[in-house]
Amino acid sequence: MTTEEDPVAELLLKVAAQDRAAFREVYSRCAAKLLGVLLRILGNRAEAEDALQEVFTRIWLRAGRFDATKGRGMTWLIAIARNHAIDRLRARPDDPPRDDTDMLDQVRDTAPTAENRLIAMGEAGRIADCFATLEPDRAEAVRGAYLNGLSYADLAARFDVPLNTMRTWLRRSLLRLRECLDT
Amino acid sequence: MTDDLPLSPLEEDEALAAEYVLGVLSLADRSAAEARIKNDSAFAARVAAWETRLADLNGAYAEVAPDPALLPRIEARLFAAPARPARRPLFGWLAGALTAAAVAIAAVVLLAPPAPAPIVATLGEEGAALRFEARFDGQELTVTRVAGSAAPQGQVQEVWIIAPDAAPVSLGLMEGDSIAVPYPEAPAGWTIAVSVEPAGGSPTGAPTGPVVAAGVITDL
Repeated sequence: MTTEEDPVAELLLKVAAQDRAAFREVYSRCAAKLLGVLLRILGNRAEAEDALQEVFTRIWLRAGRFDATKGRGMTWLIAIARNHAIDRLRARPDDPPRDDTDMLDQVRDTAPTAENRLIAMGEAGRIADCFATLEPDRAEAVRGAYLNGLSYADLAARFDVPLNTMRTWLRRSLLRLRECLDT
Repeated sequence: MTDDLPLSPLEEDEALAAEYVLGVLSLADRSAAEARIKNDSAFAARVAAWETRLADLNGAYAEVAPDPALLPRIEARLFAAPARPARRPLFGWLAGALTAAAVAIAAVVLLAPPAPAPIVATLGEEGAALRFEARFDGQELTVTRVAGSAAPQGQVQEVWIIAPDAAPVSLGLMEGDSIAVPYPEAPAGWTIAVSVEPAGGSPTGAPTGPVVAAGVITDL
């Protein structure tokens, strides 16, 4: 991966050199996407905007650790946003299992159906194909965890199985997913 | 299915990296995984590979335009800006109540002749091996290590401000021997503390490591 194909990566290298204009450019290109990530996981606009400030603080402080040979700039930024949002969720003092079905319904709504899966291929890449090799429930669990920040406790409540069973399912599914994605 | 077979140690690592990226772990398990990322490059590479594998899902996140006031707030937090009496508070949730006081104090400070910033808090007893001083010049709160040394390799000293009965808020990482943070005022009775955190700072937004020094802000 060269930075020529990845303008965000190129900007991050400048941010690592304390370039404030590049930092503003990263913000103007990426803040809306990152706020979308934070809002979906945290479910609250005020907290998501607060989290966005923290995320950009981390981007400024950690840009030196971004390695353009290891991945795309946007992937790195979204990982920072997701990690921060999930840390906030898990740190909530009364983090009850989110066993209502809203979160997973939301996943179903955005999950590619058989027909639009073909359309989404360009963007969804191999992952849509590989999800199709998993049992539908398990694919849904992986997707729900990734996009909405569901915990094992949330998933166990939703699928009405013991937490350890959920964990065994999900770990096996992840390893199968890797096998599919890496071939 | 082979659900009942135990995973091999390599599969365990692979699954843990995937679980971390997916986000399903508890806070304690996440912190343990983050510690491994910092100390175990093979594990860190597994995590990075999973971030790339699952990145195709990122297309499902919608874009949501942030409040236009956010970027100036972030810049004020990160970069020492020239003083403006009506500067927006930096930490929304704690600073709301301070706005009026900040305006008043900043106005007074702007009229005052330049003077060395007074010490508003000392962290650590006189003669302690590790000691910090906090100074406030009307615009910036500066915390300086005046005795002792930086955290060991792989760790960092993180500075926190704590309102009475409130959760600590990070002021930043002590990458050198001093940090300066634009701040509307030095609130008397609040505590400034330094904890030792993994490199890069607390993964949770709250102190996770031992508090090595603390002091209360006194009236100027």
